[in-house]
Amino acid sequence: MKFKAFLTEHGVSLLERRFLPALDKMGKICHLFLTRDHAIFLHNLLNGDGVQCIAQFRKEALFDDYRISSQNEDRIAFAIDVSLLLRAVRSSVSICTEFGNGPSANRLQIKLVKKLPPNCTQPMPFLTFETKGYKSAVIQDVPISKPLSRAQVLELQTALDIAQDLPQTLVQVPDLNQLQNFVERMKHVGDLLNVSISKYGDLHVQISTTLITLGAEFRKLLVIGEQAEAPSEDRNLSAQSRSERAISRGDAQSVQVSVKHFSRSLQCHLAKPDCAFYGIAPQGACLTVIFQFFIPGTRQTDKSISLHCRLPVLDPG
Amino acid sequence: MSSSALEAEAPDLVCQLDNVQGMVDALSAVRWKRHQDAVVELSEHGVVLIVEDTGCLQAKVYLQRELFIRYEYNAEGRPRFGVSLGLFVDCLNTFSLPGRSSMIEIQYPGPDMQLLVKSVDSLDACIYAEIRTRIPDTISWDYNFEPAGSTPLTFTVKSAALKEAIDDLEWPGSSIQILLQPVPPCVTFKGEGHGDLQIDFMYYVNTDLLIAFHCDRQVSYRYKYKFLHATTSNLPSSVIKDNRGSKLTIGRGGMLKVQHLVSVAKLATSHPQIDSARHQQPSRIAYIEFFVKPEVDEDTVHNS
Repeated sequence: MKFKAFLTEHGVSLLERRFLPALDKMGKICHLFLTRDHAIFLHNLLNGDGVQCIAQFRKEALFDDYRISSQNEDRIAFAIDVSLLLRAVRSSVSICTEFGNGPSANRLQIKLVKKLPPNCTQPMPFLTFETKGYKSAVIQDVPISKPLSRAQVLELQTALDIAQDLPQTLVQVPDLNQLQNFVERMKHVGDLLNVSISKYGDLHVQISTTLITLGAEFRKLLVIGEQAEAPSEDRNLSAQSRSERAISRGDAQSVQVSVKHFSRSLQCHLAKPDCAFYGIAPQGACLTVIFQFFIPGTRQTDKSISLHCRLPVLDPG
Repeated sequence: MSSSALEAEAPDLVCQLDNVQGMVDALSAVRWKRHQDAVVELSEHGVVLIVEDTGCLQAKVYLQRELFIRYEYNAEGRPRFGVSLGLFVDCLNTFSLPGRSSMIEIQYPGPDMQLLVKSVDSLDACIYAEIRTRIPDTISWDYNFEPAGSTPLTFTVKSAALKEAIDDLEWPGSSIQILLQPVPPCVTFKGEGHGDLQIDFMYYVNTDLLIAFHCDRQVSYRYKYKFLHATTSNLPSSVIKDNRGSKLTIGRGGMLKVQHLVSVAKLATSHPQIDSARHQQPSRIAYIEFFVKPEVDEDTVHNS
C-alpha cells in the first residue's frame, strides 16, 4: 500500500482556505478515500446518523505526480482528524512563504508512512507532510487510523455510490449567507425544521412548536430537474397553505430535519461555492444540498470539484 | 374555522416597523433571565410590554405609535395578552438581518388569538411567525410611582457608567445601598457583603458622568443586588454607543425608578444627513422603565 503525491499551489489554497475549514465544521473526523483518479473527503458515510458530507476532487485539482498503489484496485481509505490536517497544511504554507525560493523550490509532498512513535512498540500509520524550505526541511506527521480493510472500503464505495443519487427537483438558494443568518437565529426557537421544496421553485423552511410557528419562504427560485408552472390561484395564499396545496397536488415534497444539521450544512459556504441547490431525495430519503463551483472567471461548472451534503430525515414528510 | 362575521372584523392592531433591531434591543433590555412571561398592552398610543419578578421588580417597555411607520388600532379598551418574552425576542431577531433594514408587520390577534409577524419588504422571500399568546395573569403589582416629596429625588447618569458601577458591585453582592446627599451633591452606591465597595458619583467633580442631580435632603435605601443588576444587565450596545444617560428617581417609600432610552431609528443608509436629523427625533426612542422595591430593613436610615 503506497501513496505519494505533491500538492499543487492551487490544491494547497483550495484545501487551506476553503475546503478544510468547511469540512472541519462538519465534524472532527472524516474518511479520506484515495483512488486512482480521485481524492474524496467523507463525513458520516459509514457510521452515525449525522450529516453526510462528500467532497470529491479529481487528482489534478489538488496534486501533481500522484502515485497510488494497493492490492485493492489501488484504493486506500483511512480516518483522519480534519483539524490536524488543516493545521499541518497551514503550517506548511507558512513555511513555504517564509523560506520559499520561487514556486518550484517549495513543493509540498504528502505520503503515507508507518513510523514507530516514541514510547510505542507498534508502528503507527501517518500522513506525512514534507516541506522543503531554503535550508531546511520540515516534516509533519498527521496521525491517521489503520487503513480500512477491503470489506470496509467496499462498504465505503457502496455508500458513496448510493449518495450520488440526485433529487428529481433542485432549487437554487439565492443567498447562502442570508439563509445561514436566518437559520442561526431560528435555532433559538426550536429543534426540528420542516423543509418543503416544490417544482415551482419554492423553498419553504419552518419550525413549529406548541408555542410558535416560524418560517421563511423563498419563491421563484431557479429549478433544475422536474419543474412545473405555479398555479395562479395560489399566488395570494399564505406560505403555509401554498406549500400544503403543492404537496397535496404532488408538486412538492416535505421532510423534517434537525435545525442543527441544516445549519451545519450551511457551513459549507466556507468552501466558497458559487451556488447551492437544495433538493429532496426520492421517497423523502434525505435532504440533499449540492454546492457548485465554477471554473474561475467563467460561469462553467468546474467538474473536477464537487461538494454535497445529505441530511438525515427525522420524519419522512 | 372562524365565521365570516369574525373574519370581517378588523384585528385590534396592525402595525409596521422599519427597524426590527431597535425593537429587539428595546425588548432585550428587560430580559434578565431565561424564562419570563410578559404582558403586552395595546392602546391607541402604542404598545407597552410589562415583565415582573417576585413582586419586587417590574419593567416596562414603551413602544409609542410614533415608532411605527403604520399603526392601525381598532380595539375598544386596552387589549392585553401574555407572551413568552424570550420567544418573542428570539422570534423578532430572526427578522433582523445584519446590514439590512428589514420591515415587518405585526398583527394581533390572528384567527387563533396568535400574535402574527411577517416581513413585508420582499415579494419573493417572506419570513413569517405565529406566536401563541396566553390570557395574561393579572399583574399583582401594578405600581403607581409617586414622588417622595415636593421636590423629586432624582439624578441622571451616563448609562455606560451606571452599568459599569452596578457590574462592579457584583463582588460584594447581596444588598446595595443607594445614598443621595445634597451637600456636597453626591450619589453613593455601597455594597456590603463578601467585602465592602463604595462608588461615589460626585456631581461637581464629574458633570460628564453625573449629568443632572436634584436632591434637597439626604436619603438612603437598600436594594437587592439581583434586582438592581437586572436594570442594566441587558442594556443594548446602542445605548452605550449613543452615549445616552439613564435617569434614576427615588419615590415614596424608597421605590426606585430607572429609565433608559433606546434608539429605534432606522439604520443609517445612503443619506447620512437625513438620518442624523432623524436620529435626533425624540419620537424614534423607546422608553424603558424599571421599578425596584427597596429592601425592608429596620436599621436603614430613611430620612435624616
